Amino acid sequence: MARRGYSGFLAGVLIGAAVLWSFVTTEVEFGRLLSAGPRIADFIGRMFPPDPTVTAEIIKGSAETLRIAILGTLGAVAMSVPLGILASDTMAPAAIHRPLRSLLAVVRAVPLILVAMLMVGAVGLGPLPGIIAVAFHATGMLAKFYAEAIDGVARAPLEALESAGAGPLARLRYAIWPQMAPVVARDTIFRFELNLRESLILGIVGAGGIGFYIQTYVRSFQYDKAASVTIAVVVMVVAIEALNVLLRRRVS
Amino acid sequence: MTPAIDIGDLSFAHGDAKTPALSAVTLSVEPGATLALLGPSGAGKTTLLTLLDGRLRDWRGRVAVLGAALAPEHAPARRHRADTGFIFQEFALVERSSVLRNVLNGRLGRMSGARALIGRPAAHDTDIARRALKDCGIADLADRRVDSLSGGQRQRVAIARCLAQEPQLILADEPVSNLDPARASDILGLLTEAGRARGATTVFSSHQPELARRFADRVVGMRNGRVLFDLPATELTGDDEAALYLDDDPALAARLQVVR
Repeated sequence: MARRGYSGFLAGVLIGAAVLWSFVTTEVEFGRLLSAGPRIADFIGRMFPPDPTVTAEIIKGSAETLRIAILGTLGAVAMSVPLGILASDTMAPAAIHRPLRSLLAVVRAVPLILVAMLMVGAVGLGPLPGIIAVAFHATGMLAKFYAEAIDGVARAPLEALESAGAGPLARLRYAIWPQMAPVVARDTIFRFELNLRESLILGIVGAGGIGFYIQTYVRSFQYDKAASVTIAVVVMVVAIEALNVLLRRRVS
Repeated sequence: MTPAIDIGDLSFAHGDAKTPALSAVTLSVEPGATLALLGPSGAGKTTLLTLLDGRLRDWRGRVAVLGAALAPEHAPARRHRADTGFIFQEFALVERSSVLRNVLNGRLGRMSGARALIGRPAAHDTDIARRALKDCGIADLADRRVDSLSGGQRQRVAIARCLAQEPQLILADEPVSNLDPARASDILGLLTEAGRARGATTVFSSHQPELARRFADRVVGMRNGRVLFDLPATELTGDDEAALYLDDDPALAARLQVVR
């Protein structure tokens, strides 16, 4: 108990120091927050009523974001199936799956927006860099999830098929796949939801989708139009989350 | 005639275990025999059966199955694997697949690689699978998912999968220890009958002497990784059973040696 009390105290001091350091070095001036009041009120006031004339832009932008998420997820799945197999302990030797898992961790660590900016530089403006960025970024997570799904199946049926003389691919197809299918469906739906949320902002760096309009309207002080787009984004996120819950309930 | 199983001076220890799981086992089984491996848990029955199925490495001694020598360094060739069928204590079925699919999985070692992976199974394979289901009394369960079945039904599916494999040697590891006594007799009767009807050699392990006596021609008693006795089932006595299950009794063990 004494040891635990000591480490608890140490953790408290460390957290306290970190918070203090952040406050002092960031020069947080609460005065600015107070004087910003009228400006924020003005900003919010100009958002109302939201401008309904941008419906066409909203539909166009939302559809593009949805397409980026769908094609990005498709690309991620296409890459994650072989990579997931190679990153699994069950299907690949340690010399392959260990370094591959490290590589996937690095891929996951690169922020989507950074990949998108690089891709805009590489292939130009539009939805294509967005799709590539989403596919790349999502593969880091999805391939890891698939590998874990493979390694998470019951071993006994695998052994039984091996005993019957089935080859490695036949074992994957008939002993591993039926067991991992619901996990793969759940993980893929989850990743699609994340892809959609994350691709909403891709337009800000010119990588396509509804983010472009948020950027344009805020920069040009058309807050009533920006408000309409924001409402559309919120509706989309809530809708996709509801759909996800519905789908997950059906997968078992 | 070449024995179905021929073991000479076989020893094996699991990984870092201090005591060996098998010590100096010598055993020969004639083709078509029904043999029971009798003994308490930890006697080495499962180890011996798994080894005969070609799934253990680093053993010492001489082992030949169906006339082909096993190597301690590597698994048997795929074309040999299908000839030996294995029935697992815990069934080892794919729970989310249908009964028929599980039984067809027993055919995978008999199909070409491409046939196993793409398209529908050949009519020939489906016929064999359906016949195996019929022989096991579960033809009506073909389209059910395994996770909706009872324990007894599951073991019937596992036996059907093994029979669909068309093995010449059937190895069954405690096939009925998870079932109630009435069900256990039914299943073991089904298994040994199916083996005899097909002219296959059947080896099943059990810790119940009455099942060994009733369903096997020959009983091999194992304890602490050693073969204690090897008798026709009709000659199995209470003393033999005692030697397997009672605490170490040097006098009794010595007497058994004399008797043999």
